[in-house]
Amino acid sequence: MLYGLLLLPLLVFLGRRDKGALVRLSVLLPILSALLAPLLLGQMAGPFWLDGVGLFYLMLTDLLFALIALFARGYFSEEEAWRFYWAGGLFLGAAHGAYLAHNLGVLWIFVEGSTLASALLVYHKGGARALEATWKYLMLGSVGIALGLIGVILVYALLSGATLDWREARALVGSANPEGLKLAFALLLVGFGTKVGLFPLQAWLPDAHAEAPGPASALLSGTLLNVAFYALLRYTALMQAAGLFPFASGLLLAFGLLSLLAAGFFLYGQKEYKRLLAYSSMEHMGLAVFALGLGLPWLALFHTLAHSLAKTLAFLGASGILALSHAKEVGRVGGLFRSLPALGVPFVLALAALGGLPPFPLFFAEFKAVEAAMRYPLLAALYLVGLGLAFAGLLGPMTQMGFGPGRPWKAQELDLWALWLLLAVLFLLGVRPPVEVFQALEVVLWTR
Amino acid sequence: MEVLNTLVLAVLATGFLMVSRRSLDAVIRLYALQNVLLALVSFGLAQGELHFVLAGLALFVLKGVAIPWYLFWLLDRLEVSHEVEGYLSVSFSLLLAGLLIALAFRVGAVFVLPEAPLPQGVPVALSLVLLGMLSMVSRKKAISQVLGFLALENGVFLLALSESHGLPLFVELGVALDAFAAVFLAGVLIFRIKGVMGHVDTARMRALRG
Repeated sequence: MLYGLLLLPLLVFLGRRDKGALVRLSVLLPILSALLAPLLLGQMAGPFWLDGVGLFYLMLTDLLFALIALFARGYFSEEEAWRFYWAGGLFLGAAHGAYLAHNLGVLWIFVEGSTLASALLVYHKGGARALEATWKYLMLGSVGIALGLIGVILVYALLSGATLDWREARALVGSANPEGLKLAFALLLVGFGTKVGLFPLQAWLPDAHAEAPGPASALLSGTLLNVAFYALLRYTALMQAAGLFPFASGLLLAFGLLSLLAAGFFLYGQKEYKRLLAYSSMEHMGLAVFALGLGLPWLALFHTLAHSLAKTLAFLGASGILALSHAKEVGRVGGLFRSLPALGVPFVLALAALGGLPPFPLFFAEFKAVEAAMRYPLLAALYLVGLGLAFAGLLGPMTQMGFGPGRPWKAQELDLWALWLLLAVLFLLGVRPPVEVFQALEVVLWTR
Repeated sequence: MEVLNTLVLAVLATGFLMVSRRSLDAVIRLYALQNVLLALVSFGLAQGELHFVLAGLALFVLKGVAIPWYLFWLLDRLEVSHEVEGYLSVSFSLLLAGLLIALAFRVGAVFVLPEAPLPQGVPVALSLVLLGMLSMVSRKKAISQVLGFLALENGVFLLALSESHGLPLFVELGVALDAFAAVFLAGVLIFRIKGVMGHVDTARMRALRG
């Protein structure tokens, strides 16, 4: 059955080049997977095993994918739709593989597979800019992940080549050489961190996210970054099992904070709103890594959930704006709030959510992180500086696009209700964050 | 052991020569040779274990034959000069390569684990990784960056072989498949880059900034 879940997304190729069939398959297959997945919890087959954390990310990815696939129906023309849906199917298959994997080597294979599939998403229509972005992404992503593979090999060697299986590794890792493990973790953090978009390894991220077509950007930011982050979660848990969490924590805190501060600076002076959103992804993945470094995996999980929802909403909104206005720059878009509320209200509120305003869940996550960081006042202070920078960077574009001067447009046949749905979920999560669920997931991650 | 030592040194030599050659054809041939040598190292370590033989065979077929063949085919179809264009002169590249190899041998001692079956392979593997990175950052043609990545990837393969008898076979095959897909994808992209921009010079791709 697990193999079935792995291969399910590939059935999208049955739709051939017929757009209607492709949309139906791309919406129904992930929903089917999301319904099927809870039934397979705890099952094992070869190197695959689904546990709570994997299930959480698998369902999140599936549901967001279905929503994005549906939204993309109105976004792509008949001729170019198949490229998006085919590459999307490959990507979803790779993501399924990563979340189902219960073997460190297989996890690596699927993370790299998701890089390759998403390169196709970035490339999409071609053209000089998209080609440049794709090339950069492919080269940097592959080198990064190759360094990660060195880390995997070192872990395997440190376990005396006994196993790469997740649970067995956790049991054995206590007797492995701690110095070697530290080296391996540093390489793994650099490797998977490249794909998470941590500073200073983020060079590919803004280009790829800005040049990909809107729905693909939403997939990249909302679901792909999580795949690499998930690998980091697993390895941090492994370090914790080896009793080396303090070492891992130091690295995670440093990289997380650096990414936050760097993204805060980059957010300034961004003229294009999609690049702005890309840097905001870098910021929030940095914050999630920081939360993990604080020793609060539940908070890191919660942060990635809130970020995925808010960023998907923002990128779908941005692709709507781009489709209607054909303007990439912030300065050429204005007055969305009043002229086109069906699109403008959720988009502007998504920016507010990403900026960390209440009542949205990222506010709650950031508040909890500051609270925990108070043990180290300097860290908490830097964290607050970073948050302030990032918020100020988003505030200008938010007011300009929402309330500034600009021409009004008419909405095309875009499924704007998808934006409102995401907004409602965000609101609910912010008002009533399901902390217990995430703390239960933390137990699964940390002890099994 | 003598034979394995010689093979590992030969692998290092191919890596070093790949940095110094100015003709892409020569670099691709050296890459093919490197893979044949690595396959032999894998056979040499086998001592009756089947999975080494299979991993070596897969390496030989996929990376020793299929990828070089694909790269030659690509190069012919592209109709660009077969010269390696870089930012650095040959002598400076060689100097840097020498320094990187020295660094790899110095650091390699830290990387060698107590139970490593082929300790002398570890510094060579690191050298290949560093030389691959050097090729990727110092060269302009997209295809030579792919070759740099492939050399880097061979370094990772040799590391797995030297430290821990290689990864489990199905992981090894998955990794090789990923590499093959990456090269294929890169090839397609290079075609498009040539078609859209009229050159394959990544140094001239600088529309995206900041």
